[in-house]
Amino acid sequence: MKFQIEDVTVYFPYDNIYPEQYAYMVELKRALDAKGHCLLEMPTGTGKTIALLSLITSYTLSKPSNPVKLLYCTRTVHEMEKTLAELKLLHNYQLHHLGPSVRMLALGLSSRKNLCINPSVVSAENRDSVDAACRKLTASWVRAMAIENPNVRTCSFFDNYEKAASDAILPPGVYTLQDLRAFGKEKGWCPYFLARHMVQFANVVVYSYQYLLDPKVAGIISKEMQRESVVVFDEAHNIDNVCIEALSVSVRSQTLEGAMRNLNRMSQEIDRLKATDAGRLRAEYNRLVEGLAQRGNLPIGDTWFANPALPDDILKEAVPGNIRRAEHFLSVLRRLIQYFKGRLQTENVEKEGPVSFVASINTQVGIDQKMLRFCYDRLHSLMLTLEITDTDEFLHIQTICDLATLVGTYTRGFSIIIEPFDERMPHIPDPVLQLCCHDASLAIKPVFERFQSVVITSGTLSPIDLYPRLLNFNPVVSQSFTMSLTRDCICPMVLTRGSDQLPVSTKYDLRSDPGVEKNYGKLLLEMVSVVPDGIVCFFVSYSYMDGIVNSWHESGILKEIMQHKLVFIETQDVVETTLALDNYRRACDCGRGAVFFSVARGKVAEGIDFDRHYGRLVIMFGVPFQYTLSRILLARLEYLRETFQIKEGDFLTFDALRQAAQCVGRVIRSKADYGMMIFADKRYSRHDKRSKLPGWILSHLRDAHLNLSTDMAVHIAREFLRKMAQPYDKTGAMGKKTLLSQEDLQKTGNGIGEMLF
Amino acid sequence: MYSLLVPSFCAINKLSSALFQGGNYIFEFDSFADRDICREFVAAAIAFHGETGKSTSEKPAAALQDEQLSTAEMEHRIKLLQEDNELQRLHKQFVIGGILTEAEFWATRKKLLDQNDRRKPKQRVALKNEMWSVKPLSDGQSNRVTFNLTPEIIHQIFAEKPAVRQAYLKFVPNKMSEKEFWTKYSRAEYLHSTKNVVAAAAEAAEDEELAVFLKQDDMLTNEARRKIRRVDPTLDMEADVGDDYMHLPDHGLLREESKDVLDSQYEPYRRYFSQDLNQHAAVVLQGRVVDVELGDTRSVAEALARTKQAELANEVSDGNLEKDLSHRISRVAEIEDLQGPRDLAVAPLCIKDPRDYFDSQQANALKPLGDAGSGVKTLKFNVSSVEAYGSLRELISEIRVTGLSEPITDPEVAFKVLSGLTQNISSTKYHLGKSPHESILDSLPKVTKEDLLHHWTSIQELLKHFWSSYPITTKYLYTKVTRLKDAMSQVYPKLQVHFVLLDNYNCFLYNGLPTCVYNFSCIFSLNSRKLRNLCSQISGIKFPYLSNQCFRL
Repeated sequence: MKFQIEDVTVYFPYDNIYPEQYAYMVELKRALDAKGHCLLEMPTGTGKTIALLSLITSYTLSKPSNPVKLLYCTRTVHEMEKTLAELKLLHNYQLHHLGPSVRMLALGLSSRKNLCINPSVVSAENRDSVDAACRKLTASWVRAMAIENPNVRTCSFFDNYEKAASDAILPPGVYTLQDLRAFGKEKGWCPYFLARHMVQFANVVVYSYQYLLDPKVAGIISKEMQRESVVVFDEAHNIDNVCIEALSVSVRSQTLEGAMRNLNRMSQEIDRLKATDAGRLRAEYNRLVEGLAQRGNLPIGDTWFANPALPDDILKEAVPGNIRRAEHFLSVLRRLIQYFKGRLQTENVEKEGPVSFVASINTQVGIDQKMLRFCYDRLHSLMLTLEITDTDEFLHIQTICDLATLVGTYTRGFSIIIEPFDERMPHIPDPVLQLCCHDASLAIKPVFERFQSVVITSGTLSPIDLYPRLLNFNPVVSQSFTMSLTRDCICPMVLTRGSDQLPVSTKYDLRSDPGVEKNYGKLLLEMVSVVPDGIVCFFVSYSYMDGIVNSWHESGILKEIMQHKLVFIETQDVVETTLALDNYRRACDCGRGAVFFSVARGKVAEGIDFDRHYGRLVIMFGVPFQYTLSRILLARLEYLRETFQIKEGDFLTFDALRQAAQCVGRVIRSKADYGMMIFADKRYSRHDKRSKLPGWILSHLRDAHLNLSTDMAVHIAREFLRKMAQPYDKTGAMGKKTLLSQEDLQKTGNGIGEMLF
Repeated sequence: MYSLLVPSFCAINKLSSALFQGGNYIFEFDSFADRDICREFVAAAIAFHGETGKSTSEKPAAALQDEQLSTAEMEHRIKLLQEDNELQRLHKQFVIGGILTEAEFWATRKKLLDQNDRRKPKQRVALKNEMWSVKPLSDGQSNRVTFNLTPEIIHQIFAEKPAVRQAYLKFVPNKMSEKEFWTKYSRAEYLHSTKNVVAAAAEAAEDEELAVFLKQDDMLTNEARRKIRRVDPTLDMEADVGDDYMHLPDHGLLREESKDVLDSQYEPYRRYFSQDLNQHAAVVLQGRVVDVELGDTRSVAEALARTKQAELANEVSDGNLEKDLSHRISRVAEIEDLQGPRDLAVAPLCIKDPRDYFDSQQANALKPLGDAGSGVKTLKFNVSSVEAYGSLRELISEIRVTGLSEPITDPEVAFKVLSGLTQNISSTKYHLGKSPHESILDSLPKVTKEDLLHHWTSIQELLKHFWSSYPITTKYLYTKVTRLKDAMSQVYPKLQVHFVLLDNYNCFLYNGLPTCVYNFSCIFSLNSRKLRNLCSQISGIKFPYLSNQCFRL
């Protein structure tokens, strides 16, 4: 269908549209018009992605003189694929209606591991070895050597791509990673380098958060993007954590030992180079005098490094004189590692700010802040000069330099925490030095500054006023949408007691109580016998899940559960978890029914949908609070209190509840879908906890469902499932329209927004 | 095996008849399988005796006359009889009543016999969704620990732990005996159940065969790596690991969940319950892939290994994996809810029992479907060959011009027709023995109705045999025909009792016994001399009313 939003004709690939999708588009358009940032919360299962894509592409089409580019960031690769698939659908629709003039180029970008098609490279075990194997075949000096010596192996796909030179372009269209690989195979070109190259010409780029938020990466991949871009962070409820992670580094004694080995190897290389080709080192020295900005001219295969701290001025400065010479730089690094070693030998927990840390480095080993700041760039320049291809061997020294650069760049928002052992296992010495970032706004600041519009959207952004404070920006539009439902297709419940009326909770003192474990087990057992198809259970942590599953196994509850459904479980091994999920879906497809045990804050909770029959019920066992004794968390809470006046308790509750909401929200994908959500912990019945849940869940949480015991919950589940399995009128019978057709939109014009809210 | 069993059958037959008359017997068997077969047979025999009462003596005689039946066949027949009440009644009446021999009875039901073997694959029993956890039985006094393994459990172990299966094929019986093998395996399981990784590693270092069980299963790991390539891309979390542009260790905040660190030398001996849980569920989901007798451990292991290899070969040859995967993504991407109404999907027509289907459709062929709205054209049924040829040519030329539409019929129309026909079939079945508009049968008392229907089926059965004996070339056939004739003559007086009771028996004849009537009328209108001869023999049966009736019809 197509319709007008003010001056923009929107092409939407379906026959109908939800009213909230329409309202979402209206708000989004306002933000684009104002060239500002926005924050939009819309419940899962209302088609956020297609609404976004549809409006932004239509917006571009309606303003051909000034096309905006869309940078769409997803959390996971499969979301990337899904987004591109939706875009493909939309693009086909637009092509069908407007003809070939609207052709656009959209592609996904991922690491070599996900894009490589060279069988000898891609079969490598992990991504580091894939990267290294690729560099071994594609680095400029390797190819130079191959010209002289035919025995040197290169990658035929890369060679073909190079040979095609400017002809190597992707024709317009929408390319998922699958499609890119297929295209690469067909043409014999390397899809990874092709995609990297095409990113600057594409109208839509879909990639992971990292490519914009991690300054090390953003400096390489995203530096070419023009200001007239719209950046979308989808599923952005955890964006503050991603920002913080991007700027945090930790060092252990293994890291230091590895770094020492790296340094020895590098000094051997330097000696060898001095004997054979001293001119190369001299050329590097001259380049460093002029500043590092030149590195943009390096051949494409080599540009794989960037400064972890983005501010532009750093690139314009010349490298300090005392680390320009390779030997000098190595000795600086040796001294730095010695210093870290000394710090790790402490017997007490130490915590300090970056300023005093830098000062202490300066007094003890004589390395000043400016030298620290240039460590990362200087290292990579040296590695290029030394023609080191097996970069995965040199990760340790990179980590050290990364830390040095961060400490040298930022004076606030960080702390250095040195712990001689893990809190929970004090008898095992495991010293670790952590540089932790507390301020999420540091990493995202360049993004807000560089791009015209940044859209932050998710199903759970409650409370919506907290995010602008955490990320330090001013949104022009900040809106939370409710869900217009044809029928009450979600049924949240708070379960506070087992069938024996004893309270259930994962609170520290109740957690390992056998009575609570039994009551949780009985709850699941009752539910598996009532609910058809798939059930998903979330636990507060891996260790808790392992513990409770083991105890269910020993007490025979697990055996009884298995008489109704198959049981799959998330593990820390990603491959195994993926296969378990695949089997889980198959079990739901064939009608066998299954239960999936998963962890809040885990990978599954983050990105896997349990829509339709894949999840008719989610049980959240406990409140997923963070481990509150962690020093890093305490330091962050302190920072938040001092800087933003956010109370510790409030932040912890907010964080736990957004995780819980995220977990249970996975169960709904469209309005035709239905599902139940059980919050199984007595603490959810308290108002201060519950009120942090997003509005679309709260509006369905009836007062009668706030304090249930197991048998009451089972009764409600039976009733609900019976009601939901009936056929119903999709367009919404009771006065309020929940599905709009083109005519409906034309009739009401822009009055829809008012009609809804 | 069968040759041994068949004589024992006769023995059991006699025994069971004796058993029925009273007295206790104790049987001893070599194996459970033998016992099960015999038990079933005896049970069936007792059931027969119970029904027939006195006529026990004829049964063994009939059975002896039979061709030697294999146990499987015998079981199959018994099963058929048990399943179909009517068949059992007929069998009782004619075979045990001595009118037909066992072979004759089944000869007309060949289709039933082999159809059930071939078409309906034996229902496979799913694997039990129960994990075999080691619950060592300790007697409390010595250090002895006892484990119980059944063939079912062994099958499960082989399916869930390919390394154990492989080890079995490798070690047994060359290197160690079966018992030693399982003892060793149980020891490994016991070590695991104590959760003492260090002890397990120490034991494994001393005994390399034990180490096979204690180490992590490499075959599973390889299989996982293979399978991950075929996984649904919408849940491929493996792709996320290392999606970041550059990957440095120790970046990001430390996870709160730190694995308890263990020396790398012990790492291979660590085992997680969650792994077993997932593997177990995966195997159960896959179901019973092999169809072998569970008792023979070696053949189970070999069969499982074979299926794995076949699976591997299939995967290699499967070329359109990529296409399939991207198709899957695009299907997921759509929001069905917002979509307008769709065309119905095309599904291939699949008729399980064509005879059953088309026989019951005969009536439909002549009358249009219930709804007049579907635009059924009136068709000419009597056409000359020229006309038929003409219309065929016309149709072909039309197709030449327009081409075949794809799909050939409009799915909507096809669906309508199909559901109409299906409804008709079910209603014909329901109206069995009565016409849709008049149901005089229904007005009869229930007992009478059932009796009549039974007579109808039994006469049908007899007539079937009667006609199948034609032409009468041997003495055997002649006696058979006589026997049948006698039997039919016995039916008549029984029927007459009902007829007398009924006012409107003409109607009954018309409605309830169409086949009989048809058959008899055939007999009476036949011309050939031999048949006349036959007819005169039959006329001895004396059906005065019926024959009159027939001619009038």
